[in-house]
Amino acid sequence: MTAAAPAAPASEAPSIPAKGAVAHFWERLRKKKLAMLSLIVITTIYAGGILAPWIAPYPYSEQRIENALQGPSRQHLLGTDRLGRDMLSRSLYSARTTLVVSVAVLVSGSLVIGNGLGLIAGYRGGWVDAAIMRVGEVLSSLPGLPMLVLVNAALGPRVAEWGGWLDRATGIGLFKDFSSYLTVFMVLSLFFWVGTARYVRSLVLQLREREFILAAQALGASTPRILVYHLLPNIAFIVVLQVSATLGSVAGTEVALTWFGVGVQPPTPSFGAMIFEGSGARTFQSQPHLLLVPGLFVSSLLFAFALLGDAINDIIRDR
Amino acid sequence: MTGYVIRRLAILPLTLFVVSFLTFTVARFGPGDPVTVAAGQVRDPEVLQRIREERGLDGSIVQQYQRWMGRALQGDFGESFIQRGFSVRELVVPKMLVSAQLNILAIFFVFAIGVPLGLLAAWFQGRWLDPFIISTLLFLSAIPVLVILPPIQWLLAVQFHIVPVGGWDGLISIYWIAGVIAIPIPDPHLYLPLLVMTVPGFSGVARLVRITALQVSREDYVRTARAKGLEESTVALRHVLPNAMLPVVTAIGLSLAGIVEGAYFTETLLGIPGIGAFTFESVRSRDYDVILATTLIVAFFFIVMNLLTDLAYARIDPRVRLGAGNRT
Amino acid sequence: MTGQKRILAALLGALAVLVLIIGGLSAVLLLSGGGGSDGGGTAAKGGPVDTKPASGRLRLAGSDPLTLDPALLTDAGSAEFVVEVFSGLMTISPDLKVVPDLAESYSVSDDGKTFTFKLRPNAVFHDGRAVEASDVKCSLDRAVSRQTASPTAPQFLNDIVGATDVMTGKATEIRGVEVVDKSTVKITIDQPRPYFLAKLTYTTAMVVDCKQVQQNPRNWTRNPNGTGPYRLAEWRVGERLVLEANPKFYLGAPKLQQVLYQFSGGSALTRFENNELDVAGISVNDIDRVRDKNSALGKLYTTTTEFSVSYLAFNAKLPPFDDANVRRAFGMAIDRQKVVDVTFNKMLPVATGILPPQLPGFTPTDKTFKFDPEGAKAALAASKYKNAAGLPPVTMTEIGGGASAGIDTQAYIEQWKQVLGVTVQIKQSDAATFFEDQHNGKLQMFNAGWVMDYPDPEDVLDLKFHSKSVLNDIGYSNPEADRLLEQARTERDPEKRLKTYQQVEQLLLQDGAWLPLYFGQRHQVVNASVKGWIEPPMVIPRLRFMSVER
Repeated sequence: MTAAAPAAPASEAPSIPAKGAVAHFWERLRKKKLAMLSLIVITTIYAGGILAPWIAPYPYSEQRIENALQGPSRQHLLGTDRLGRDMLSRSLYSARTTLVVSVAVLVSGSLVIGNGLGLIAGYRGGWVDAAIMRVGEVLSSLPGLPMLVLVNAALGPRVAEWGGWLDRATGIGLFKDFSSYLTVFMVLSLFFWVGTARYVRSLVLQLREREFILAAQALGASTPRILVYHLLPNIAFIVVLQVSATLGSVAGTEVALTWFGVGVQPPTPSFGAMIFEGSGARTFQSQPHLLLVPGLFVSSLLFAFALLGDAINDIIRDR
Repeated sequence: MTGYVIRRLAILPLTLFVVSFLTFTVARFGPGDPVTVAAGQVRDPEVLQRIREERGLDGSIVQQYQRWMGRALQGDFGESFIQRGFSVRELVVPKMLVSAQLNILAIFFVFAIGVPLGLLAAWFQGRWLDPFIISTLLFLSAIPVLVILPPIQWLLAVQFHIVPVGGWDGLISIYWIAGVIAIPIPDPHLYLPLLVMTVPGFSGVARLVRITALQVSREDYVRTARAKGLEESTVALRHVLPNAMLPVVTAIGLSLAGIVEGAYFTETLLGIPGIGAFTFESVRSRDYDVILATTLIVAFFFIVMNLLTDLAYARIDPRVRLGAGNRT
Repeated sequence: MTGQKRILAALLGALAVLVLIIGGLSAVLLLSGGGGSDGGGTAAKGGPVDTKPASGRLRLAGSDPLTLDPALLTDAGSAEFVVEVFSGLMTISPDLKVVPDLAESYSVSDDGKTFTFKLRPNAVFHDGRAVEASDVKCSLDRAVSRQTASPTAPQFLNDIVGATDVMTGKATEIRGVEVVDKSTVKITIDQPRPYFLAKLTYTTAMVVDCKQVQQNPRNWTRNPNGTGPYRLAEWRVGERLVLEANPKFYLGAPKLQQVLYQFSGGSALTRFENNELDVAGISVNDIDRVRDKNSALGKLYTTTTEFSVSYLAFNAKLPPFDDANVRRAFGMAIDRQKVVDVTFNKMLPVATGILPPQLPGFTPTDKTFKFDPEGAKAALAASKYKNAAGLPPVTMTEIGGGASAGIDTQAYIEQWKQVLGVTVQIKQSDAATFFEDQHNGKLQMFNAGWVMDYPDPEDVLDLKFHSKSVLNDIGYSNPEADRLLEQARTERDPEKRLKTYQQVEQLLLQDGAWLPLYFGQRHQVVNASVKGWIEPPMVIPRLRFMSVER
């Protein structure tokens, strides 16, 4: 796609942090009002998702067909959809789905693979670097979208079965969705770690010529030690930034995946499903709330994460 | 350096070969095949088998791949299974051109608007204009395409008829003034997709440029320039700007790498006959030859652009050494 | 690295950017070629096509035909174009009668097995060559040949004696098709089937230019030499298709000169209101506006019931639907009328049976299960599973994406939960997965539709429910129904025949083989300058009967 600009330029990386860096970091963050606001927004939405079964005014699948397509009212704060389901309740449960997706993304190892391989490639250089980068290139040249659809079509039913079994066994109705998203993200991460890896690699390429690395090498430190004790802490904050960016993109990714047929099945609500029901210029003309409600939630999440990411970035830069 | 380039280019054919084989196999991994889709409700297994033979879908994967490879090396990328009577090349190339046209225009606007905006924000750092610009841009780019398109479509196309609601009619169209004078203007079908594609883009670029510019202006040589008594504007133009362009070059490289890819949502919602929507439809109908051809073209561009970007980066930042090992 | 060198390198970078931009722009201008992109397909003859409103030009929306080969198409979308460009011995008239087309007249032998067709003397191809009996024969031979591998030939042409031998490779031409003389063809079928002529109207039996097909097997459909009232003038895939009147058409030159289909462009109704289209479909978002008779759109609104029925199908071989009582329980637990009234804003007629209105054999009485929650519960209790807890997990599959297909499906699922206490899972597949699972008999319950191919009840009742039919995708087997169907196949008294089919329909519905949901209904607005607009319930040639006057 066009203009894929990295979130922060790959120029100067920070020097080794002092002890108590975390507390220092938090102090700085608290001073930034926008960042705090973002955190509040994010926490509220996530909390809504976690507490959904207890605070939602209606069950998400309860239909009162007579009440369909109503705007906001006293009984339905955010209106009703085409089947008379309460939009507020559905939104709360959709937030839950987004949470499930977020956890799946974090667990799927995409961060580990991308950062780890980037570290190794940048530091070792030579044929290791070349091999990793070339393999990554090949893998990411593969058509992601088609593969996703096909893998989902092939493995999806099997995974869904296991998930369903787990659901029934434990009584928590989240495993099925979680496992299907997990599959998807594992596939994605296996094939698309190259972007993160390249970025980390470029950082490492600069860092390894810095004085403290040269000093450590002069003192005879072994490669793993250098990687872990000297490079990693400097990379850590960048990694934090990436985690934040990844989490932030989850909402958008979930919407896109749902449109491609990968994701939760009805009647489990997700923001993607709600947006799907509200999309189309003419639908918007007659029932704008169908799109506006989920759109607002998703945009808020994305915006909040972006602001947060920027704030973290600023803090790192300013040391 | 030359040796490095030659080495990278030499493995290009190998890479393409691996990509083609992998895609070939993965495509057949999913359930169903184009025969199933084309035959629809017809179930007779004998009939389906006959169709498979006729279209070369029988035999083992390796056999099928060999067949495909033989033809591909002669430049024949096969026929579409679903859109009968059309070769893959005739279907894919025009659509890629459409997407590429949109992408080039979008890249141009993204950088032409983003770079100045970023510099502006950096210039005004500390005053209200800086966070204002940045926040607005962030906000605009945070709204996903799927959410922003219907309202914009409704507003501009349905309500005010400023733009057509969708479709594609080339890049230039003729506008008649008083039925007498004809002037070429950018085709109105472009406005909506470009709007949707560029806003998130120049937002990202602006932020990138701003951060880089701020970074650079703290460098020693800039302080030296200021200490020498140069005006801020001179400092900005002759010292900050050139250095701030470095990551921009990288970003342009990255954007160009995806030039033959299409934005699925934008194309589908706006009815643009681009490669994004077409690729997805081909996956849906398991049109293997189309998927394969598209993948290879995209992979080719991607790999070449990556190489160029790596070269540019090494040129610009000499601290980066490509292909060199550890010093000790 | 001194500051100077740094700046130099940076300037080089800026220069590179500039070059890229300028280069990109020139590329853009070069590629555009001054307007109008170059889509794949037949080259336009004589410049870009005008899309403005004009007399004699009809502008429609639509989507690309998947193929223009009459023997290969399986979808109604492609059929819409093919029936105008090609023609066959028989066709269906706008009032749904099976009438001769390329044939001027025909006679049937006493035993009902031999049909003799006399071709029209003025029948010609688009290029002017006369249509002869040998063309009819070679077209039919080609349709069933192994190379063509037509998916529909087995269904529509297998009644002809010797056709199956060609399909299995045992022969190269059909024994039962005989060229008597230049303008006479004799076709012999295996049994006296009253619906044979109706089947012959389908595109598989249409006449093609065999030599053209032979010379150019891959690409001939790009410039087909057909016999129909229209020729293909231009086709840009994904953009548009233009049909032009064939002045030599044997039944008279069509009044409508040109038909322009525009495939891209977004919402049809918006384009209609901008005077870019002459006909547009109406969706549920706009139906209220259109129903107001006093509004501008309201005056142009027309609606037709189609020969299609959407239904829920149960796989009678998979539990729990192997028990007819379970099927009945599910059928009685849903309130289709309410869903239609509220969710679809009354846009679809609730199905009263399997046969849609206007089809011979249709009866207006409601033969489907009435919404009866108590009866549903009783039926479930009477089944071998006793209650919801005794049922295995039930999944309903449908084709779709976006996690939101089938608003009505979601409504029904909720009703099954409320009335019967059964939780049905929805699974959305893409088409390829769906059809494969369906072929392998893996789907317990699915949502589908059936569009009639010719106006005869045999087309649905026999083809979909006879236990030995290849199109029976629900594993349904009912010996009584089989017996009646076989009887009706050769029953020559039309009244008795229809009565038998009605019996079968009743039987199938009682047994819960299908749950018919709704009949198809089309809602459109038609520009006032279109005269004689025909909207038939199925795909038939109709363009030549209309005209556009502005």
